[in-house]
Amino acid sequence: MFRIALKDLFARKRRLVTTGVAVVLGIAFLTGTQLLSVTLSDSIKSLVGDVYSSFDAVVRSPRTQETPFGQPIRTQVPGPVVEQVAAVDGVASAAGVVESPGPELVGNDGKVVGGGFGPPTLVYNWIDDEGLRIGALREGGPPLEPGQIVVDFRTAESLDKRLGDEISIATTQEGVRQYQLVGIVGLGDGSQSTGVRALFFTTPEAQRLVNQPDEFNYVVAGAAEGESQAELAGRIGDALPEWQVLTGEAFTAENQEQISQFVDILEIFVSVFGYVALFVAIFIIYNTFSIIITQRTRETALLRAVGATRRQVVVATLLEAVVVGLLAAAIGLAAGYGLAALLLRVLSGFFTIASTTPGLSVGVVVLAVLIGVGVTVLSAVIPAIRSSKVPPVAAISEVSVDRTDLSLSRRIWGVVLVVGGVALIATGLARVGPNPLYQVGGGAVAILVSVAVILGPLLAGPFSRLIARPFSIGGRVDGRLAGENAARSPKRTAATAAALTIGVTLVTLIAIVASSIKASADDAINNSVQADFVVATASLTSFGAIPAGSTERIEQVPGVAEASPVRFALLRLLDPVGVATASTSTTIPAGQLGAPPEAPAGEDDFALGIDPATWFDVISAGDLQGAPEDLVAGTLAAERSFAEERGWRIGDTIPVYFVATGVQQLRLALTYDEPLGQASLWLPLATFEPNSLPLFNVDSQIFVTTEPGADTAQVQSDLDALFADIPTVQVQDLQEYVQSQTGPINTFLGIVYALLGLAIVIALIGIANTLSLSVLERTRELGLLRAVGMTRRQLRRTIRIEAGIIAVFGTLIGLVIGILFAIALTIAISADNPGVLRFQLPVTQLVVIVVVASLAGVAAALLPAWRASRMDVLEAVSST
Amino acid sequence: MSTTPPPTAQAAAGAVEAVKVYGTGDTEVRALDGVTVDFERSRFTAIMGPSGSGKSTLMHCLAGLDRLTSGRVRIGDVFLDDLSDAKLTELRRDAVGFVFQAFNLIPTLTAAENITLPMDLAGRKPDGPWMDQIIGIVGLSDRLSHRPSELSGGQQQRVAVARALVSRPEIVFADEPTGNLDSRSGHEVLGFMRYAVSDLGQTIVMVTHDPNAAAYADRVVFLADGRIVDQMESPTAERIIDSMKLLGG
Repeated sequence: MFRIALKDLFARKRRLVTTGVAVVLGIAFLTGTQLLSVTLSDSIKSLVGDVYSSFDAVVRSPRTQETPFGQPIRTQVPGPVVEQVAAVDGVASAAGVVESPGPELVGNDGKVVGGGFGPPTLVYNWIDDEGLRIGALREGGPPLEPGQIVVDFRTAESLDKRLGDEISIATTQEGVRQYQLVGIVGLGDGSQSTGVRALFFTTPEAQRLVNQPDEFNYVVAGAAEGESQAELAGRIGDALPEWQVLTGEAFTAENQEQISQFVDILEIFVSVFGYVALFVAIFIIYNTFSIIITQRTRETALLRAVGATRRQVVVATLLEAVVVGLLAAAIGLAAGYGLAALLLRVLSGFFTIASTTPGLSVGVVVLAVLIGVGVTVLSAVIPAIRSSKVPPVAAISEVSVDRTDLSLSRRIWGVVLVVGGVALIATGLARVGPNPLYQVGGGAVAILVSVAVILGPLLAGPFSRLIARPFSIGGRVDGRLAGENAARSPKRTAATAAALTIGVTLVTLIAIVASSIKASADDAINNSVQADFVVATASLTSFGAIPAGSTERIEQVPGVAEASPVRFALLRLLDPVGVATASTSTTIPAGQLGAPPEAPAGEDDFALGIDPATWFDVISAGDLQGAPEDLVAGTLAAERSFAEERGWRIGDTIPVYFVATGVQQLRLALTYDEPLGQASLWLPLATFEPNSLPLFNVDSQIFVTTEPGADTAQVQSDLDALFADIPTVQVQDLQEYVQSQTGPINTFLGIVYALLGLAIVIALIGIANTLSLSVLERTRELGLLRAVGMTRRQLRRTIRIEAGIIAVFGTLIGLVIGILFAIALTIAISADNPGVLRFQLPVTQLVVIVVVASLAGVAAALLPAWRASRMDVLEAVSST
Repeated sequence: MSTTPPPTAQAAAGAVEAVKVYGTGDTEVRALDGVTVDFERSRFTAIMGPSGSGKSTLMHCLAGLDRLTSGRVRIGDVFLDDLSDAKLTELRRDAVGFVFQAFNLIPTLTAAENITLPMDLAGRKPDGPWMDQIIGIVGLSDRLSHRPSELSGGQQQRVAVARALVSRPEIVFADEPTGNLDSRSGHEVLGFMRYAVSDLGQTIVMVTHDPNAAAYADRVVFLADGRIVDQMESPTAERIIDSMKLLGG
């Protein structure tokens, strides 16, 4: 029996290939991303280890706050602490380290290098003690003058700069300045660069550039001979109890941890799409097995007639599935390995990666085999059992197309899935139950499956004939035949279309949500911003690169009525609601001594720093309670609904924790109706400035209004001229401002579309697959058509139209479900955050999606159509 | 090619020195070994012969479904050997009618749609009165909207005959058209074919090994080992059986 199964399998190689391709793609994607992230994370960990390997102990401030940006923010260490550390017994050497973002590198094209994606630019001070310095000199010497700079070799290469050349730096406060390149370093032992663009300056210059004179981000110490890291850290901790002390190992581990968290999130994000692709692949392979096994009915019946048991028949099919699964897993793994290697090679252009060869782990191999074989066997088991029920008499019957109506169990399961799915989504949206997110997701999957197994087959027949109608105008028989062919086996058509439905549903959902977010942002900005221009930083990553004093200079421009700066702050709310919702306190890692993290439990949030004198002229904040003049030092303003939720009243004292200054009692002086963006809290600059870290104590945007009747074009060009030589700053009109605020959504959307594209490609392979098998099944029919005068062109057209019908069917259903899901999601989000989402259908985009998916379906039919048209008429007519 | 004699006015189709060889060397089979034959207009010709005699090959080559190794075949005054696949398809569509032994109809189309299929493929309107006449003759008026699966085997073959006749082709080829039918249905189908020739002036060439079926023809051509070995005008079943005994079939 096994021999028969295997012989049969390898006798039909093309079928073997088509069955496996879907699984191969799914597995390749899944293992590829996994291999990539494992390799990346290992590589980065070892680099981080190398970079900080010379540190025996690190002294830093206990005053810290987690941020949504990964790295926690922390206050600095004053310069004199370095001497205190150096004086501790067992410390051989000590140095203060400046390690901070802020200034940006300006490329040869006059634009900021990086910004958005890619390695961040960090400012370091040059430490003379080689044992404590990050990086070793490869060329030149240290920066001795304030106007000198040392960069890592990769940055020098990318800018095409040599020793003695000038490098342009966009400073946060003084515009662009030129520095002379005096040295080039490699990190670690000199041969590597981490994933950052490292800029080294003299210590005072570095401190000045990041706005923290005579302060360091942390202090490092090297141990004397024979002194262990733990002993050293313990001794320093005892001597400086007000500071936090870490062993070098703990510090390295913490950095590695932060990076791997980022890599993990990336991996999860990408894996989600891998699993979507796999889910689609399951549909394809299930469908393929169903068709193959139906076509083989006569063969199976013959085997049964000559004495094979039902069990043997099932086992033979499952064996076939195992072989296909194993082969697909192996090929998929190989392809995944190739994919990972390719991506690593691409990434190594940006980052240093220890090895561009992905490390193959047992786990990944097991995953590939388990999923490959599991998915294939599961897909085959139901058709196999069904085929084993075929009575031997069927061997005589001629037609082997599954024309059975929907079975009762299918209808029942379909209804159960729909009802269950709707219930899950409903409870998820109503926030009843343990995990609303999983409930909504599970419900969505249930509904999709149900659509594929019952709604799809019910609709497929009438729908196919309907779509075929325009193609059959004037009695055109190819369109008519295509419609009938798609309608003759509704289950097959529905299952094939379902794969496309999944991809289109997700694309539609995401397109609508993105468009709604954009529409809402557009609304919000247009409603609340009264300004005519916004002076903003060029990239979202460069915080405050608007030079100090810009507001005053803008106000000098003729035609400008008012200019109001805004700053950005992170804070922690310690009011009862904030304390109650506080995330669990961070555990203190091993190797961390001295003062524990000082921040009390509370809710992390962010606030805008504003100038009350001008802010309410550039922003329409709706109804105000309290007056802008009340916003003096020690007060804050809150969005009304936010204040009401937390039970705050005007005049209440709200405890707030700032990293820079610790717990402060702020008085609520004003509430407003219309927030700008997501900030529910506004701090007058009088409160903001003393409580802010230097890094944040700079303008991030300046809103500008013009005088009535002013020539706005002239004002804009004057403003442009004002910031012409500062590449980090852009002058935007309101439209450009909206675009810059929603721009990242487009980038994100692009990535998501690319990843979902894979699922759609798999679905198209499914269409090609189904059509190939259908063509095979209809050989005689096609032969007859050709014999009575159908041209090859007509035959190809018939098959292409059939593919088009399937694709349009799958796409339209996906569109409808996607829109429904988007409505549900909008309702869910709006219930929590009213006004965040205004439902908006991106009509053009959706039309493009439908057209592209449908045309892609037609393209998928090209090969089967060509093959069908090449078949020999005589052989086809006389085939059995 | 200009040496070929012009077709005789009466011949609807014909072959000149037709040779068809399958395989090479030891496995070489000469399915047709120099067949020269004409099929006159408005006559019903049966091709008979034992299995492997080349009768089906001859028909396939005459109908443009297969190509000769050497020699020439023509339909009307068109020689098929030089035609491209597209031209050949067009010729089959416009000038040839087919009736196969089984699986004659497209299962997704109704009887009426199956009948007009060649004309629909050509993008032509069927000739209404003619079509009605044909459908009336084959007795399918009340079955037109049915699908093949809802028709009996005899009805299906009658639909096939109607399809072959409806475009008024130069010639109709029938390959064992009654092979799958019970004798009553078979006689019905053969009766229609006889009527189409006698009363409507059609030309039909039928391959069969059933002497009773061949007896409906005006003329029988006997093939053996790829050659024409005998011909008979106005045959009867008894004379055909006698002839076949002589041929060792």
